[in-house]
Amino acid sequence: MKYQSQLVAKPYFIAAIGLFLGQILFGLIMGLQYVVGDFLFPEIPFNVARMVHTNLLIVWLLFGFMGAAYYLIPEEAERELHSPKLAMAMFWIFLAAGVATILGYLLVPYATLAEWTGNDLLATMGREFLEQPLPTKVGIVVVALAMLYNLSMTVLRGRKTAINLVMLVGLWGLAIFFLFSFYNPNNLVKDKYFWWWVVHLWVEGVWELIMGAMLAFVLIKVTGVDREVIEKWLYVIIAMALITGLIGTGHHYYWIGAPEYWQWWGSVFSALEPIPFFMMTVFAFSMVNRRRREHPNKAAVLWALGTGVMAFLGAGVWGFLHTLAPVNYFTHGSQITAAHGHLAFYGAYVMVVITMISYTMPLMRGRAANSPLAQTVEMWSFWLMTVSMMFITLFLTAAGILQIWLQRISDQPMSFMAAQDQVALFYWMREYAGLVFLSGLLLYISSFFIKGKAATAD
Amino acid sequence: MKAATFNWLILMALTALSFGVAEAGVPGGAALVPVLLATLFKGRIVIDHFMALQGVGGAWRWVVLGWLLLVLGLIGYAFQYAQT
Amino acid sequence: MWCFILAELLVFGVFFLAYAFARTHDVELFNASQLELDRTSGFINTMLLISGSYFVVLAVDRIRHGHSRACTRWLIAAMACGAAFLVLKLVEFSGKIEAGISMSTNTFYMFYLGLGFFHFMHVVLGMVILGAVTLKAWRGGYRASDYAGVETGAAYWHMVDLVWIVLFPLIYLLN
Repeated sequence: MKYQSQLVAKPYFIAAIGLFLGQILFGLIMGLQYVVGDFLFPEIPFNVARMVHTNLLIVWLLFGFMGAAYYLIPEEAERELHSPKLAMAMFWIFLAAGVATILGYLLVPYATLAEWTGNDLLATMGREFLEQPLPTKVGIVVVALAMLYNLSMTVLRGRKTAINLVMLVGLWGLAIFFLFSFYNPNNLVKDKYFWWWVVHLWVEGVWELIMGAMLAFVLIKVTGVDREVIEKWLYVIIAMALITGLIGTGHHYYWIGAPEYWQWWGSVFSALEPIPFFMMTVFAFSMVNRRRREHPNKAAVLWALGTGVMAFLGAGVWGFLHTLAPVNYFTHGSQITAAHGHLAFYGAYVMVVITMISYTMPLMRGRAANSPLAQTVEMWSFWLMTVSMMFITLFLTAAGILQIWLQRISDQPMSFMAAQDQVALFYWMREYAGLVFLSGLLLYISSFFIKGKAATAD
Repeated sequence: MKAATFNWLILMALTALSFGVAEAGVPGGAALVPVLLATLFKGRIVIDHFMALQGVGGAWRWVVLGWLLLVLGLIGYAFQYAQT
Repeated sequence: MWCFILAELLVFGVFFLAYAFARTHDVELFNASQLELDRTSGFINTMLLISGSYFVVLAVDRIRHGHSRACTRWLIAAMACGAAFLVLKLVEFSGKIEAGISMSTNTFYMFYLGLGFFHFMHVVLGMVILGAVTLKAWRGGYRASDYAGVETGAAYWHMVDLVWIVLFPLIYLLN
């Protein structure tokens, strides 16, 4: 760590991991509700558990991105952060807003929450992933703008590199596209358009820039490969990601009342979306193979490689699986979507944030790398979480295929709930895999508390 | 640069020929193979001489030529198939 | 740049094949709609792009011998061809739009307008790239020992030409 102000990243990362744990707990509750319908009813109904699970994911990833930005941008710009105080203030505001929102979901009926928070002034609530009450949404915008001001001022007066420019463009895009969440038209087709312009343009657009910048940053640090080489890769990857991702939005327009030609454009361009992810895999491995130093932080290298592979599998392969219009005609909104969602979010965004945390946390705690024992435990948690997530994905895929068959293809199609009963076995197996994931996460958290002499490069 | 001029004239001539075939109202089935062959030839000139990939080591030339062959081949197949 | 060119070729290739195979489902419709196209305009446009490519080849040859001025002139000639292509294409498109045709009219027009517009944007991008190269050449920024920039711009321009060379017979001629 070169600059004192990079330390503001630390609370962001700690909050991220804390909320991550919350997300997994609610995932497990909900997973059990799939098979034991009245579990925790009426305290935590399924829809609330689901909302908390997905919202926590988004919020903790945002904490992770912000922390990463506050760490990476000063280092790349070669100067202190413009205002560390502002960054800390925003941390507390964001945390308070996040926790209050989650408590609101849990303690008050959603409709009451909407009434209390001025949803009748400007109706923005009730849309999947964007359920946050109006004050929270405004809070997100304020926090994001303050962060962008802070980071942009830092970059403007400092060194401009490909990495911090891509990171900054990604974060600006994130903030700008979020503004679409304030518009909630009555026309259902338009409603879907604006909704996807937040959701899709985030995860298949600007977030990929953020992810690329974070991965490139860590790879430069742990491999010592020339910046020019890494930046060239970064440019090609993000150009491909943006082109395929932007026009690939069409794969959400198939059945929402948009013109039919989107079935062609969406299919073709989203079929190409795996390419940038594949390039990311090749990128991570070839950089590590060409490394010019042995970095003592082996765990961070493992996370970086894992991100490359799992992002390609989750976002690339599992996305391609159901992206072509004729296939999606059958798979739309089934457990296949859930399988893709789980592996893509874990493989791409969860893992890249953990990569960043894994690399920066030891530095912020005053050492190049954690003790060998702490790293071994961290690597165990990597395998536990990654393998169990792979199994969750496979079980959900199996459940999805069976569901589609029973409910949509067979000669005597079953009703939704009847088909769900038939795939209960896979839901049970998914829940067990989820417990393994939780144990991996607990192991990961425990690795922060293992003391010992810092590892050195051998 | 005489070679380039010559290639340019061939490209124009082949284009005119393909256009003429269509203008003359030659039925699709009979025109298919000549027009596709003319296109293949034109593509090869652009790839090998204009892009100057001929003589370049490595896979680049074969990847681009392969693209041309594959696309034209499958187009030919699809059009042939549509006639039956 | 070559990575980029390959990716572009891949996208166009997929669309060409999508056209060819979508056509097998409704040959009559495709043939009938195709007859409504302005084949002559497409023909002239092909000639323009081919000539543009040829001029770019001459420009690369000139700079190889260190002649910045001549290189600039040929680049401008190539861009003039590109501009003429864009104008003709716009006339063609506006005619269709005035006739009330859109991407939703039928599958043929979806491909004709969609692919045409997509290629149109590539010509625009190619012109932007050539424009940047021209500007640098005009200022004497390239020399016989260092003209990689001209070659890169040329490669992209040839790719746009190559794609059109397949697109023209596919959509305008073959039936």
